[in-house]
Amino acid sequence: MISRFTAELATAVGTATFGAVVLGGAVEYGIGWDSAGPEPGAFPFYIGAMIVVASGVNAARTVMQRPLAGRVFLDRARFSRIASFFGLAAAFVLLSVYLGLYVATVLYLSAAIWWQGRYRPWVGAVCGITASLFFYFVLEKGFQVPLLKGPIEAMLGIY
Amino acid sequence: MENIASLFYGFGVALSAYHIGLMLVGVLLGILVGVLPGLGAPNGVSLLLPLTFSMDPVAAIILLTSIYWGALFGGSTTSILFNIPGEPSSVATTFDGYPLAHKGKPTEALSYAFLSAGFGAMVGIILITLLSSSVAEFALRFSSPEFFAVYLLAFCSFVGLGGSSPFKTMVSIGFGFAFAAVGMDSVSGNLRLTYGIDELLAGISFLVAVIGLFGIGELMLTIEEGFELAGIRARISVKDVLSTAATMPRYWVALLRSAAIGCWMGITPGGPTAASFMSYALAKRFSRNRDKFGTGEPEGIISPETADHSAGTSAMLPMIALGVPGSATAAVMMGGLMIWGLNPGPMLFVERPDFVWGLIASMYLGNVVAVILVLTTVPLFAAILRIPFSIIGPIIVVTCFIGAYTVGNRAFDLWLALGFGAIGYVFKKLDYPIAPMVLAMVIGDKAEDAFRQSMIMSSGSMKIFWSNTLVASLMAGALLLAFWPLITAGVDRLLGSVGAARRGHT
Amino acid sequence: MRKLISLSVALLASVPIAADAASWQPIKPIEFVVTSGAGGGTDNFARVVQAIILKYKFIDQAIIVTNKGGGSGAEGFVYAKMQAKDPYKLTFGTSNEYLLPYVARLGYKPADLTPVANMAADEFLLWVNSASSFKDAKAYIDAAKASPGTYKAGGSQSKDTDQILTGMIEAATGAKFIYVPFQGGNAAAVQLAGGHIDSNVNNPNENIGHWKSGAVRPLCVFSPTRLPGTAKVVGDMAWSDIPTCKEAGLPVDQFQMPRTVWLPLGVPAEAVDFYVDILKKVSETPEWKEWLDRNLQTPRFLAGKDFTDFIVADDLKSKKVIEAQGWIVK
Repeated sequence: MISRFTAELATAVGTATFGAVVLGGAVEYGIGWDSAGPEPGAFPFYIGAMIVVASGVNAARTVMQRPLAGRVFLDRARFSRIASFFGLAAAFVLLSVYLGLYVATVLYLSAAIWWQGRYRPWVGAVCGITASLFFYFVLEKGFQVPLLKGPIEAMLGIY
Repeated sequence: MENIASLFYGFGVALSAYHIGLMLVGVLLGILVGVLPGLGAPNGVSLLLPLTFSMDPVAAIILLTSIYWGALFGGSTTSILFNIPGEPSSVATTFDGYPLAHKGKPTEALSYAFLSAGFGAMVGIILITLLSSSVAEFALRFSSPEFFAVYLLAFCSFVGLGGSSPFKTMVSIGFGFAFAAVGMDSVSGNLRLTYGIDELLAGISFLVAVIGLFGIGELMLTIEEGFELAGIRARISVKDVLSTAATMPRYWVALLRSAAIGCWMGITPGGPTAASFMSYALAKRFSRNRDKFGTGEPEGIISPETADHSAGTSAMLPMIALGVPGSATAAVMMGGLMIWGLNPGPMLFVERPDFVWGLIASMYLGNVVAVILVLTTVPLFAAILRIPFSIIGPIIVVTCFIGAYTVGNRAFDLWLALGFGAIGYVFKKLDYPIAPMVLAMVIGDKAEDAFRQSMIMSSGSMKIFWSNTLVASLMAGALLLAFWPLITAGVDRLLGSVGAARRGHT
Repeated sequence: MRKLISLSVALLASVPIAADAASWQPIKPIEFVVTSGAGGGTDNFARVVQAIILKYKFIDQAIIVTNKGGGSGAEGFVYAKMQAKDPYKLTFGTSNEYLLPYVARLGYKPADLTPVANMAADEFLLWVNSASSFKDAKAYIDAAKASPGTYKAGGSQSKDTDQILTGMIEAATGAKFIYVPFQGGNAAAVQLAGGHIDSNVNNPNENIGHWKSGAVRPLCVFSPTRLPGTAKVVGDMAWSDIPTCKEAGLPVDQFQMPRTVWLPLGVPAEAVDFYVDILKKVSETPEWKEWLDRNLQTPRFLAGKDFTDFIVADDLKSKKVIEAQGWIVK
């Protein structure tokens, strides 16, 4: 279980870190203001600073005010649903990068509809293959928009 | 009235069986690319561009613009049904369109969107018919300071709207500006915030961010409740389309205001995306149903859609008269113009009246055709929502990622979309507003460029933003909007205390 | 023994190349990588080549055009670098291929691509607003010299061809302008027509619309010879009536932007020859000539050594300005 307090604080730390990264990147290009107006890093610098300061205030408000005590961000059941959804989506992206979008689509839809949707395995497989073929013919053939392809397409001689 | 005569001449050019056939084909193809994941109007237009090489320019431009109209309508469909904007300019439509559809009223939501879009388009076309010559002259008065003021105006209309904590809003805006700054800085020619990563050279695409934030983020919120959601039992009938149409006149204030904003942003040119955001913001600010915005309020659909389409159509004028493309699609069409041997410019009206007025006449017809065609598809699209969520959910995930990939053919964008999905989910759960981030991404780098160009022109003097009546009134308008909440609060308090004082006396 | 192994490895490795030697033919779709956004000059260039190849069926395979214009085109070149040995990726660009790495830290070097051909040269002109009193280049330059840092010269992008040319003018005359970078040549054209800047160095097709409407005036062309085209464009002026900059007293005799085509590194030489042959055929079609005429581009087909010599010379000339302006990144 994740409490709302933890979630707020973790997010504030996360946004502050992002702000700091922006600040670091901005300093490289000069943050001053010369006769030709602001230098390239000036806007990113102020933006980074704004994110860090605002994140700090958010964190401080979370800690000081404590109106969130006892409130739940995600309970166990919800957390496991979100984790399995996000994990599967991440796996889909990973598979896409190595095997191409078509193969990943078949695998992902089969798995998601079977495990998460509680359908029979063949329903997922049918959906996956149909969707993949649909995208291939519409995008690749119809509109000449190529999608990411992997070794299996290369073996089959599909370009 | 010379323009009216020219328009009739234009109808004479455009009204042939061949041209109307092309229009039908174009609109249908456009609706298709608008609805299909990963495809947008630019794809449809660039696909057919080589074909138009051997066509007559009038026929070619009718075909390509018809695709554009169709795609603009189609793009709203996915915004409303799945919270995935098909075009950048239909992001604001998701704010109320998606909730209304998921309250079991997809037919109403889609009908509101299409009808108001059709109205907006008509206003835009009438404007360019009547004012074609003076509009071009007006647009020539815009330089970098004016552009900056227009972006500031759009932005100020939006800040201070939401009920969220101002510091969370600041974080959200900061994220948007930071994402917009990644990549090549066109004023200095330097790469910024790329940290030596080649994948970041091209910057962070607005569409990829939106697909993640809205599409995937929204799915995560839905899935919290469980995977076994049933489909939405929506009553679907043609009668609903007609009864929705009958309620449209009730929203005449929103329609007119949004059309005015759209035309203004289309010509200046702030672009359709900024126009739809600004229109949504002003509708929320001035509506009696302010509190219902975000939960499926019809005005929240009508306002952005009207502005989007009036901006989209009126932006055709700066394109043909000045060679300033208002959108990615317009840029491709301008490339077409050059290939056909036409040079955009004020003289095009004199040299090729058949082309210009044929195009304008075809815009009337094309948009009417598009509204009719797209309305007949409403029941079909609304039926998709009846499919059980455990099947349609994963398909939407795949659709989102394919859409993200086709934006720039980059595998890296798949990871970005996933990351934005996580940001969207967490931000939404913790009441960080997402709309300001999206708006900051759209206008952030343009506003910065305009500001720095102005500074170069004025050698660093801020006075340039007050140097003529045009820019000064824009700036004043922006400041007025920014402080509007304070002003109204002040007026309320004043009136309130006066009222209280009176009551005290009696 | 070791010698034998290395010999057999060498033989094995050479087999596919030997097979290609007959003459290389594409057996799958070809990707045209465009180093500009949709609608940009390079985009038009690639799409016209695509349309002509389609029309005459020079290649049996499908051609897919993808835009990778991020980072002023660097995105496309980095992509080409990563596609080493793939003869199905043809990259379209300008001089940005060898100039970009000077001014920004990028993930590729100019030598990471194989030059194929140059197909045309885009001309540059000096333009002023018609409402200004400047009738010739000398008057404008003299005025700019008299009050340095007040005249605003606009152009497309920063540290790119337009600013390099502005830098050349400054170096040659001693004038000093305020250079204002816009998003593209079209924006620079509108800003000049609206009188917000004093001059620009746009290509003919970027300004022709505003010239015809009487908003802008050409002063001279950065070419050793006058432009072709004797048909009257505006009043009694034709393209050929515009003096060369040298004639007009502005000693920058030549500046042009090449329209270049590239392949990744490590592709078979036969594939390069195949594309050179196709592009040569394209450059001889009436459609190609018509497109060049309309856009006032100069036909200049270069391949092989001619092309690499041209690159070296052009690179050297531009590098001087880039160094003088202090834009070089380490």
